[in-house]
Amino acid sequence: MNDKQTTRRRFLVAALTFSGVASGTLGISLLRTSAAWAASTEDSEDLAAMGRFAQLLFPHEGLPDNVYGEVIAEVLATTAADPATQGILSTAEQTLDAAQDRSWLELDAAGQLAVMQKLEGEAFFAGIREMVRFQLYYHPQFWKHIDYPGSSKEHGGYLHRGFDDIDWLPEQS
Amino acid sequence: MAEPYKLSDSSVVVVIGSGAGGGTLSNELAQKGIDVVCLEAGSRLTLADVVNDPPAMDGKMGWHDKRIGDMVWLCKTVGGTTMRWSGVTPRIQEHEFRALSTYGQLDEDTTLIDWPLTLDELLPYYEKAEDKMGVSGSGDIPPSAETNNYKVMQAGAARIGYKEVSSARMAINPVARAGRPGCQQIGFCHSGCAIGAKWSTLYTEIPAAELTGHFELRTNTMAVRINHDDKGRVTGVVYADADGSLHEQKARAVAVAGNVVETSRILLNSDSSKFPHGLANSSGQVGRNYMRHMFSAALAVMPRPVNFHRGARQTGVIYDEQYHKPERGFAGGYEIQAISADPWNTSAWVGGWGPGNSVFPQNYTHVAGVFSTGEDPPQASSRISLHPTERDVHGLPVPVIEYRDHANSIAMRNHSVEMSRRLFESLGATEFWGGDAPVGCHNMGVARMSTKPDDGVTNRWGQAHDIDNLFVSDGSTFSSSGAANPTLTIVALAIRQADHIAERMTQKSL
Repeated sequence: MNDKQTTRRRFLVAALTFSGVASGTLGISLLRTSAAWAASTEDSEDLAAMGRFAQLLFPHEGLPDNVYGEVIAEVLATTAADPATQGILSTAEQTLDAAQDRSWLELDAAGQLAVMQKLEGEAFFAGIREMVRFQLYYHPQFWKHIDYPGSSKEHGGYLHRGFDDIDWLPEQS
Repeated sequence: MAEPYKLSDSSVVVVIGSGAGGGTLSNELAQKGIDVVCLEAGSRLTLADVVNDPPAMDGKMGWHDKRIGDMVWLCKTVGGTTMRWSGVTPRIQEHEFRALSTYGQLDEDTTLIDWPLTLDELLPYYEKAEDKMGVSGSGDIPPSAETNNYKVMQAGAARIGYKEVSSARMAINPVARAGRPGCQQIGFCHSGCAIGAKWSTLYTEIPAAELTGHFELRTNTMAVRINHDDKGRVTGVVYADADGSLHEQKARAVAVAGNVVETSRILLNSDSSKFPHGLANSSGQVGRNYMRHMFSAALAVMPRPVNFHRGARQTGVIYDEQYHKPERGFAGGYEIQAISADPWNTSAWVGGWGPGNSVFPQNYTHVAGVFSTGEDPPQASSRISLHPTERDVHGLPVPVIEYRDHANSIAMRNHSVEMSRRLFESLGATEFWGGDAPVGCHNMGVARMSTKPDDGVTNRWGQAHDIDNLFVSDGSTFSSSGAANPTLTIVALAIRQADHIAERMTQKSL
């Protein structure tokens, strides 16, 4: 991993802990997964399922589907390099599919959501939820979608660019 | 003596930590001609290292060593948490110094005491601290500029009848002063100020101390143990350098300012046959009474754009709820403060998943936010201790952090969330979320000042009850939390402590 990925992963670990996802419980569930499952997540159907999973976690009207695919690719890259979260996506995929007699991806939206609600207490669920949250909400395409410009210091901040331009508040007596 | 100091030089005061407490104490002592060696676990950034990228900055300055239990959000860098703090600088109120007398003891696990000093005694030091830090609205400094998010808070506050709302009391220069520029409203204050408009010891106290010729900063040095002699006086500090090699710096006196986790750890880890429970711990109180403040956060989607990412991250405070009004169903009070968040924060604070969460980042340009900080009664069961077997890379016992919300803090949080809801809904908010904000950045109480040695660890000067040449110089000495953000009080106490140390040295009693 390069330096940027390393620092982002550290931040992510902190983020997971803030969200009440104890790394201990996450670790236990991950022990059950194997390298074989990790490899299998790289096939396209699994990636499509996890992209859909990410979309249902944090739905955004008008956000192109490919952003969720990129988010999952980032999560996969992060977890592949980290023994603590390796294989978490395949665990998720396997568990989602095992909840009924056909693939979770084939269910309609209501069915998919029902399975997610049933599994939301599982450690893998919280682990992926926080990784997706992080990758999605720091993703440049998502920032573009919501008109968030990110770094401002190179533009001299907002001192002359609207830090106090709000004009719709009621007049104060 | 002249810096750099020899390890064998036992005339120096060793200060552990270079943040609000340690950086300030170091400079105050050096200005008086007292020789100081400051040990800082982190490295020294420059303003050019500061980028508007929170994960990258967390990598550069966050404290990532292993801890077990509740999360804290601290810094390992020159400047400590003054790199990350928001710059909000209210004072602790008069009645909050008399917490036990004012509130009474709340329940069996609560360990409230009164401070062994009064607001009157601290007032001159508050004024010195405000001048040093350049607090807006103090002296001849104007109040801070009103950001969009502040204006939303102010308008909502007026609608629901609040009277005491101000954009002052920020240690961020509204205009250029004392060699630092005025705020450019960059945002990202929590990831280091890229221009140095926000007060941090990195570019104020530390270089000022260096100019005196009485100060040496040793970066990337992890203090692991404080040694003492047969009489029980401390004699030096053992530290690991960047390569992991151990050295002992001899000392005339030692001041510990590593924030609550490291301050607890080094005292507890310096146990000996003379002090079997750790240094300064004959009372058993080191690591106990760990307080964080009641925290809540609230976000709202407003009917029209706010663009709360534009400008300083926190600007302004509502003071109406800061008083002790037991009819609200809790002891003590809280302050409501305007706060902004990046897109990830707007989702992470809300927590969970689904449309009820993603509605906040989706409507990012329309989101406004506030945060409340309030009195958090100390509890014997909230504590920092050392793991019996787990060791970190330095071979040090891993700290175990146990914190639980006091019932009083939960009642106060519910009240603050309800008031935040009313505030935003009075302006037509279409979505609202309010709740716990688990950040762990206000940390107090593990070596608290007490009148009776049995009740705490340090006396009214932050001097260990057990060892007269050992001091604690960070938020660990707070006897109770008050409602105010702690940094201003940490700085005021450090200035006062420097006066005390210098006086004792002049009297040859230290």
